Amino acid sequence: MQLVCVSGHTLLALLFLVAAYIDLCDAASVFDVYRAIQYDLRGIPMGSRRASLNHHASSGLSVPGSDITRSVVILPIAKVNITLLNEYLQGKRILGGLLLLLPEKGHGDDNKDEDADENLQVERDLENWIIKNNVPYPVYFVYETPSLKALLDEVIANDLAGKPATATTGGFKLVISGPEPRKIPPPSLVNIQAWLPGLRSEGDSSVVQTIAIVAWYDTFGAAPGIPAGTDSNGSGAVALLEIARLFSRLYANPKTRGRYNLLFALTAGGPYDYEGTSKWLKSFDQRLRESIDYAICLNSLGSISGEKLWLHVSKPPENAYIRQIHEGLSEVATELGLTVEVKHKKINISSSRVAWEHEQFSRQRITAATLSELETPPELLENAGSIVDTRANITQVILSTKLVAESLARYIYDQQDKHITVFADGSNLAVSRSYVQGWLNLLSRTPRMAPFLSRNSPIIAAFHKELADRIEDVKIQHETMDSSFTFYDSTKFVLSIFQVASVTFDLVVMLAVGSYLGLLFVIALVTTKGLDDLFRKPPSSRKIKGT
Amino acid sequence: MTLFHFFNCAALTFGPHAVYYKATPLSEYDTVGTCVKAALVYLGTTLIKLVLFATFLQASDNDDFHPSQEMLKALIGFLDVAGMYFALTQLTYRNISQNHKFQAIGLGWAFADSLLHRLAPLWVGAKGHEFTWDYLLQGIEANVNLVLTVSLAALGSLMWLRKSKPSALVPIIYTSAGILAAMPSISSYLHRGLKWDFSKVVGFEMSAAVAMALVTWRLFSACQRPQA
Repeated sequence: MQLVCVSGHTLLALLFLVAAYIDLCDAASVFDVYRAIQYDLRGIPMGSRRASLNHHASSGLSVPGSDITRSVVILPIAKVNITLLNEYLQGKRILGGLLLLLPEKGHGDDNKDEDADENLQVERDLENWIIKNNVPYPVYFVYETPSLKALLDEVIANDLAGKPATATTGGFKLVISGPEPRKIPPPSLVNIQAWLPGLRSEGDSSVVQTIAIVAWYDTFGAAPGIPAGTDSNGSGAVALLEIARLFSRLYANPKTRGRYNLLFALTAGGPYDYEGTSKWLKSFDQRLRESIDYAICLNSLGSISGEKLWLHVSKPPENAYIRQIHEGLSEVATELGLTVEVKHKKINISSSRVAWEHEQFSRQRITAATLSELETPPELLENAGSIVDTRANITQVILSTKLVAESLARYIYDQQDKHITVFADGSNLAVSRSYVQGWLNLLSRTPRMAPFLSRNSPIIAAFHKELADRIEDVKIQHETMDSSFTFYDSTKFVLSIFQVASVTFDLVVMLAVGSYLGLLFVIALVTTKGLDDLFRKPPSSRKIKGT
Repeated sequence: MTLFHFFNCAALTFGPHAVYYKATPLSEYDTVGTCVKAALVYLGTTLIKLVLFATFLQASDNDDFHPSQEMLKALIGFLDVAGMYFALTQLTYRNISQNHKFQAIGLGWAFADSLLHRLAPLWVGAKGHEFTWDYLLQGIEANVNLVLTVSLAALGSLMWLRKSKPSALVPIIYTSAGILAAMPSISSYLHRGLKWDFSKVVGFEMSAAVAMALVTWRLFSACQRPQA
């Protein structure tokens, strides 16, 4: 039985040798991750073009000793060096993958103010970079949890100690496997309209005029699976719902019904040059189009810091109608402590870019204006529902809602210059804070990217029900998007993180086991040839005893 | 953790059995038949044990240690001894010497045990990405088990196949056999009751195996000496 002792010792020694390569570890961890958007714009590929990845973890874009083409770089979203990232892209250095950490839901507001603003800008730049570039490697977003943070800290510590995770040294390995992304068929844009008929007086044969209030509700951000765009344009959609609710109460009673029809519309396709609005307008018949007195479009009303609102118009400000609208709004604005300033932007017929929603109305020769906190016209796909846009200033949204509702009411009921507040605070027609809060919360939790919203998606059903509960005439219109965008699916995946041993470890174990077995063989051979004799007395002693 | 690791662990788990067969005179005397018969007896014993477990033990949700359950498991575990008895005494073999017989039976028994208990976890687990020490430790446990089983077979052959034994040694023989048979229960108690780490349990098993092997060897050689 010597062989057992010897083999035991050998094995222990080898185990200690081998243990130097890797620590005892936990089982694999699993996280939900959201892929960055992938789309083609007029045939040009944009966004992140790959989905599956199987690489080691790295904590930065320039970790010495780590091969960036075979590692997944894990970075908090505010700490990405975009210039370096861009350099790599231009220099055709393709990363194994990029995993961006978003602050935990509900904890993003804990930063100090200066940091927060800077971080916000970096995050927006990063998002723009992802959207506007053809990124040939997988990019994923994940919400930071304590376990993920601990893992990242460990990766950072390893990298700093000069032991980055590679195939030869072992470490953390990230695996996301799934089907390759495919094009989805042209998405449908769902417009929801609600019609509040106005009072037609007896014997009056003239057509009742209509006022349209419109807001787009969908988003376009860096990750379709992540809720985004609370301010752009969740705030606009919520304001519209509240205004519809208030006016539906007024119009329910014929005594308080106004002499204007009210047409509310939640439109899709906002980020894509307001394609939904355009199609919706084209579906109007001539009479309706001519009966629209003016339209007001709501775009981003929940700014954190501002009190100034802009009224964007395409007709010159001197135009009588525009002046009327502006004065109506200014009157109420002063009472509320806001300022509304007119901004004129001519429509450029040759360019297909439609910067504001009211321009779609103007192209149909309908007087319209957009009320927004944004001063400059947004570029294509900017301010259209960013993933960093997770909060809206509810006080500002309420004030803006009050502003629009009040000025509308004074116009409809012909109460200008009469200092009467229709939606006074404390009355049962006041703008409801809980209503606005509730809807803002819902929209901030719901991803609303149009190509990924099916006809039966819950949020569209929620909008429909909300309007249909109070207004009789609510219609849903489905239009197929025929713009130059093509989208790809596969937006949500599962990430598994393993702690793997290095190839060297496997080789060492193989050598250890091989030598152990070899040793066993030799020892067994040597000893058992003689072992038999141990069980048999040597014949000589027997003979001696016998005789 | 990849196929490579699987092969490493499989070699560690099953290699020693092959080595034992090839390197010792077992291969010379072509005792494969004996090994196979022993393996089959092991299979039968395990099936009976499973049926008894299913009938008498309650299924528990957690991994805790219940003394009554463990006692019952130990009692049923003694069925192993009965199986060994059956293999050693009741089956007929080709004419091979006593000491080869018990080695061949021990080998076949241990190989079947490793195959049944360790091949499936190895196949399923060692091929995954995640690395744990468990499969290497399991391999070591298989080695240890081989030693224990051969010792038990040796003691078994002493108890049942040898008529003349020095009377002073008889109680020691039976005690050692009892300890060997109870080894699985002891390991399970350490692992679940005292919550020892798997590596510690394997270390204990290793030292126990070495100790018992030494004792068995001394007993065996002592019984070889002709009566005074």
